[in-house]
Amino acid sequence: MQKNEQEYLAILRTRLSGTLPQENLDDILSDYAEHFRIGKSKGRSEEDLYTSLGSPEEVAREIKATYMVTKAEETRSCGNILHAVLSTIGLGLFNLVFVLVPFIVLVILLGLIFLAGVMFSVMGPVMFVFALLPILGISSFDFWFSPAAGLFFSIGITSFGILMIIGDYYLARTFYYLGIRYLKWNINVIKGTESIV
Amino acid sequence: MTGKTPGNDNKDPAKGLRIISTINPTRLILWLVAITIVSFVIGFSILFLASGVPGNTGEPIAAFKLSAISNSTAFPLDGASAGNVLLTFGPGNLEISGGSAGDNLMEATVYAGSAPWEPEVSENTTGPVKTLSVTDKGHHSKEFFAVDAKRQWKIHLNEQVPIGLDVTIGVGDSRLDLGDLNLTALNVNAGVGGSEIDLGGYHGGRFDAMINSGVGDLELRVPSMSNTRITTSNGLGDVDVKGLRFDNGAYVTPGYDSAKPVNEIQIQHKVGSVTLEAV
Repeated sequence: MQKNEQEYLAILRTRLSGTLPQENLDDILSDYAEHFRIGKSKGRSEEDLYTSLGSPEEVAREIKATYMVTKAEETRSCGNILHAVLSTIGLGLFNLVFVLVPFIVLVILLGLIFLAGVMFSVMGPVMFVFALLPILGISSFDFWFSPAAGLFFSIGITSFGILMIIGDYYLARTFYYLGIRYLKWNINVIKGTESIV
Repeated sequence: MTGKTPGNDNKDPAKGLRIISTINPTRLILWLVAITIVSFVIGFSILFLASGVPGNTGEPIAAFKLSAISNSTAFPLDGASAGNVLLTFGPGNLEISGGSAGDNLMEATVYAGSAPWEPEVSENTTGPVKTLSVTDKGHHSKEFFAVDAKRQWKIHLNEQVPIGLDVTIGVGDSRLDLGDLNLTALNVNAGVGGSEIDLGGYHGGRFDAMINSGVGDLELRVPSMSNTRITTSNGLGDVDVKGLRFDNGAYVTPGYDSAKPVNEIQIQHKVGSVTLEAV
């Protein structure tokens, strides 16, 4: 494999096509072609420029991760944040620990809170019925110690469940925002444009 | 003319969405928080007040004592020389044993949450046999407080007269210490819960027994010196056998002799373990 401009741009194109929109891809390739043109005008060889720009595979991964994170920031969706996380993990194996593990933990946490909220929201009305039956004089399974108290507890449980679902939504939005910031910081640290401390 | 008439509002499918979109999220959350807090405060307050309601302490209820014959929980033989006792019990704990006074067929102590839950009693004497039926009515009255109070029956039966015993148990644990009784028949129908039937030391007459058990563990103890044959039909669960031997499709006591009078016990058990023991 020859280390020249054509090869470098070909690798970038192959790695990024299908991920980035054609317009963005053309801009990026144009930028890197410009790097080569300026470098060559100063008398540097294409091989020297190829090496100094960094491996085109790594550069492609960084561009892809940056694009995905930006896309996730602009358009909030589960798919976008998932792609952003996966792209960032591709930047280094250590990100399995620093990105994937926290991401999975947060997803499980949000999922559990949501499930608990749904469970309470559904259980509440059922408990309400079990509280109402003995008050109406209908024989049933004695669920509540006190049916009168049970009526109020079931209302409280239902509204608490709905609150949990709403809270989970806002928590997910906060985690989303913080996650995007963390991914950006992570990419910048890997690029070397930001230090850890 | 395309203008909307008031009547068309009900047919507008987007109306609901528009109403939802006008709800202020902050206000909605505040309302939900308020409803949650107020509901729990009221609920706990009612519980606190209900715990002080008279008759909710699990003490034997006076109404049952007074409504029973002779102002007592004792049910006399009234000259009968044999008895049939039918007990139908709902949820709670049931204990049956011997120990009733010689002239009483049964003595009962009923623990319940309130007077409306006292059991129904029916007595009938035909010739030398007195039939006594005690039935848990369940909850049919309107109850606002303390439905789930402790419920327990403690039954003492006469040890001398021959008794046919029929017990139906709903949900709960039951312990039947029948070793001191003189049985003519035994029928046990248990719904959900553990059942312990102890015939250890039994020295009464021959009897046949039918035990139907739904969900829960069942323990049956028979005297090893008796001539007893036990057949089981078990659904889900293990059968643990101690001191009995398997003979011709049934478990029998060590000295079993088919030529002599045999106590036949049939067990039909659906879910749970069965323990058979000769003691």
